[in-house]
Amino acid sequence: MRKAMVLTVIAILAAATGQGQSPAPRSEPSCPSEPALFHPCAQKVGATFEPPRTADGVPDFQGFWRGPSFATENIEEHPKTDDDDGGKSLIVDPADGKIPYQAWASPLPAKHRAEYIDPNVPCFPSGVPRSLYTPTQIEFLQTAGYVLILFERAHAYRVIPTTTGQHVGASVRLWMGDSRGHWEGHTLVVDVANHNAKVWFDQAANFFSASARMVERFTLVDRDTMHYQVTIDDPGVFARPWTMAFPLRRNTEPGFRLLEEACHEGERNTDPLIALGYKVYPGN
Amino acid sequence: MGMRVVPVAAGLVVVLGAGLLVWTANGRSGDTPPRTAAGQPDLQGVWQVLNTAAWNIQDHSEERYPGLPARFSMPAGQGVVEGNEIPYQEWAAAQRNENYKNRQTADPEEKCYLPGVPRITYTPSPFQILQFPDRVVFLYEHLHAMREIFTDGSPHPNLPVEFWMGDSRGRWEGETLVVDVIQFTSQTWFDRAGNFHSDALHVIERYTRTGPQHMLYEATIEDPKVFTRPWKMSMPLYRRQEAAIRILESECYALAREEAR
Repeated sequence: MRKAMVLTVIAILAAATGQGQSPAPRSEPSCPSEPALFHPCAQKVGATFEPPRTADGVPDFQGFWRGPSFATENIEEHPKTDDDDGGKSLIVDPADGKIPYQAWASPLPAKHRAEYIDPNVPCFPSGVPRSLYTPTQIEFLQTAGYVLILFERAHAYRVIPTTTGQHVGASVRLWMGDSRGHWEGHTLVVDVANHNAKVWFDQAANFFSASARMVERFTLVDRDTMHYQVTIDDPGVFARPWTMAFPLRRNTEPGFRLLEEACHEGERNTDPLIALGYKVYPGN
Repeated sequence: MGMRVVPVAAGLVVVLGAGLLVWTANGRSGDTPPRTAAGQPDLQGVWQVLNTAAWNIQDHSEERYPGLPARFSMPAGQGVVEGNEIPYQEWAAAQRNENYKNRQTADPEEKCYLPGVPRITYTPSPFQILQFPDRVVFLYEHLHAMREIFTDGSPHPNLPVEFWMGDSRGRWEGETLVVDVIQFTSQTWFDRAGNFHSDALHVIERYTRTGPQHMLYEATIEDPKVFTRPWKMSMPLYRRQEAAIRILESECYALAREEAR
């Protein structure tokens, strides 16, 4: 419903501003989109691709991007059903594409899914990394010392300083975590800590704890494809660190802009779910 | 030789004088307003108001807020409205009084809705300004509200679309960022005291650096459906001095759901 409204507004805006007649040609992807095939290919291609540079001389990621939105259903491989589009696993390590939960943790997603409302339903910020594959438009902006990521969904944003600095104190827990970035060659490496862990990885209730540390790597592999990797280290929940990788593809529509998705202001699904007995996920 | 010195010195005086017009409040002698790499006045940083406008934009005594313990009372405050008077039309003055009576439940803030402009400025949470050649981005801690203010000369999308935060188009006038904001919903208020507007609201904001640590914020309010004439608020913005200051999160609607945990 909400999605339909946003799409209508976009359509009106596109019609009125003359956008959308002929999208700028998007380059052919250098690598297949399926994560298990994309990741090794992107590692190889990304090592030699010379990215465009900003005025400050760092790789230029600016513009609009989209992640693999099917993964918001489940980051592991899942079939197409009446509810789900289905899709391959985003997990490239371990090679079986499964989240390496510790024994106590592996039954919890199914249990939580039956008890709790997906935290995305009441428009809570999606957190990291779910924001990157939530069905939404993503805009990257760069200025000296910062990479800024704006998400159309619920107008969430991330401010990533790329100069030296420490995370905020460990007791400060945030929906979107606290991000600290630096450049390694062509790659933006972001360390994310201070998670409040009241978010899920996906609608399947895959979860992590507030102790999780995540290291993200953003690398351009061709003009219109970004290689995104995130390694999750949470020794209280997982048997070992594990890694998701997937492409972000550029939206080349001329004149495109983010609109205000006043998500909470129009949200009407949570109260009926609470009336049915579902609870708000308290975090871990 | 002496003849050449005089005109040069006079020129310097003129240049400095022009700079000091906007760079007086706390500027040290000889400082000039900084510029971004793109040559625009540099407004970047983390800013915050130090006033009680969130409670009431007009002069007010201290007062219990309905339903809250005394320790969360509204503090007394000097208003931010120039001349203190808000020129309501007669029906609107009555509506404002009704809003005030029902403020505990009728204030859109009670539902944790986006507060609109200019209320977002004095919520009074901190906000960060980042600048780009074609836009200025405001990132607010309150409800992770975000504004992209395009300064590329593009017009408002002239469409029947309402935004909680309006549609902002900016331009640089000397040292000032001037922002024209329209296409508002009628569902936001100016404060917790019931001051309100309609969907015809037109806000003209002006952001002017007055010193290394200060900025003047002015907002001219036009709304022919509600007011008899335009009126204006103004207040200083203070730069947060903590070296490690970060915009954190203030997620009212997430906290409101805690009873369902």
